[in-house]
Amino acid sequence: MTRTAAPASRSRRAFATAAGGLLAAAALGGCAVQTAGLLADPPADLAPAVELADTPFFPDDSHFCGPAALATALGAAGFATTPHALVDKVFLPGRAGSLQLEMLAGARRAGAVATLIPGTLEALMRETAAGHAVVVLQNLGLSWAPSWHYAVVVGYTLDEREFVLRSGPMRRQQLSFRTFEHTWNRGGRWAFVALPPGELPATATEAEATRALVAFERSATPAAAATAYRGGLARWPASVTLRIGLGNALYAGDDLAGAEAEFRSAAEAHDAAAAWNNLARVLLEQGRSAEARRAAERALAHAGPLEAQVRATLAEIDAHAPR
Amino acid sequence: MKRFQRLLAAVLTVCFANATMIQTAQAGMISTEQVARTGAEQGTGHERLTAALARADVQTAMQQQGLDTAVAAERIAALTDEEASALADHIDSAPAGGIIGAILLVFFVLLVTDILGLTKVYPFTRSVR
Repeated sequence: MTRTAAPASRSRRAFATAAGGLLAAAALGGCAVQTAGLLADPPADLAPAVELADTPFFPDDSHFCGPAALATALGAAGFATTPHALVDKVFLPGRAGSLQLEMLAGARRAGAVATLIPGTLEALMRETAAGHAVVVLQNLGLSWAPSWHYAVVVGYTLDEREFVLRSGPMRRQQLSFRTFEHTWNRGGRWAFVALPPGELPATATEAEATRALVAFERSATPAAAATAYRGGLARWPASVTLRIGLGNALYAGDDLAGAEAEFRSAAEAHDAAAAWNNLARVLLEQGRSAEARRAAERALAHAGPLEAQVRATLAEIDAHAPR
Repeated sequence: MKRFQRLLAAVLTVCFANATMIQTAQAGMISTEQVARTGAEQGTGHERLTAALARADVQTAMQQQGLDTAVAAERIAALTDEEASALADHIDSAPAGGIIGAILLVFFVLLVTDILGLTKVYPFTRSVR
């Protein structure tokens, strides 16, 4: 072994990285843009201080910040669980950590709707003010020496310029807006809120909420999926995707009359081929072939990429009730 | 043994993929995921095949990352097609929250950047304001 040679090269390398790091630090020095803007002109309707003190805490000092953060957020949303129970759902041994997509999927498997929120400090504040703990991905290190970490934002104080987080071994980490913003920027400003079906984050966009609800349907019971879609439709009643989703959830729960009403509403309001096709299927199942055929023909009028499926529907109608 | 594992993985992937597909395919309903998807490829057989292949890739990758076959299959079943495709491409490179990497090597740098308030690696640092 060349043990003597190692320290020299290691220290040289350490020096080089240190020098590089200082340069990088200097370059990064002035880029906490959001903090500056927020402090210069805080929105008038923003609560000056919030802390969700009842949020559970699961201290973690190892690689399990993913399961710990997820258990924290799920507990806050009313789904009592433990990090231990979530390890098999979100921890990836080979990566010694948890991937973002699996954090969302893990929340869904526990029965919660997991929705990404906008990457702004203000969105984090508005969510905590609405009573929602927010899971964030931070890069606590540097872009070239990443130290990926999940934590849960549970509050903030505008006066102290600090966020309050459940983070690793710390029950109540107070992190300055500026430092938090740096670590969050380096993690891509990724944040999500997990909530029971029927509720949605205060700041979620229609696109992200829709994505979350559609993904939720995959793991949820039909009843939970229907409740979740209804919650989305309460905020975005004109969404054709959510309306069809509600129809599909009701259909999966064997509520043919309910599904028919939703598909009809989506079909008539948006003339959407998918809605006409699914309406035709529901009508056919109830033995109403003539109505089913009319609906399927409406679907065929502008089926686009769905044409094969619509033709299959028509063929089945023909098989049941020849023209 | 290795071959057996791969075979089992493939079989399970197909089973789980079918569990969700049959639900919609049997009944001829167009799924919400399909409605939500945009673009010209929407709903085509090509896209379905791509998604199925992505799921098989993720299954293999997850097993290489230390998950057992059944656990991986359950986790993949909870992903949308879109998510499965994204994971298939990035499972080795996407951020994995939990690792405290490279800290010894760059201890000094991170200590300084911690104090400057740019990073927050060490619990004992208090940044300058």
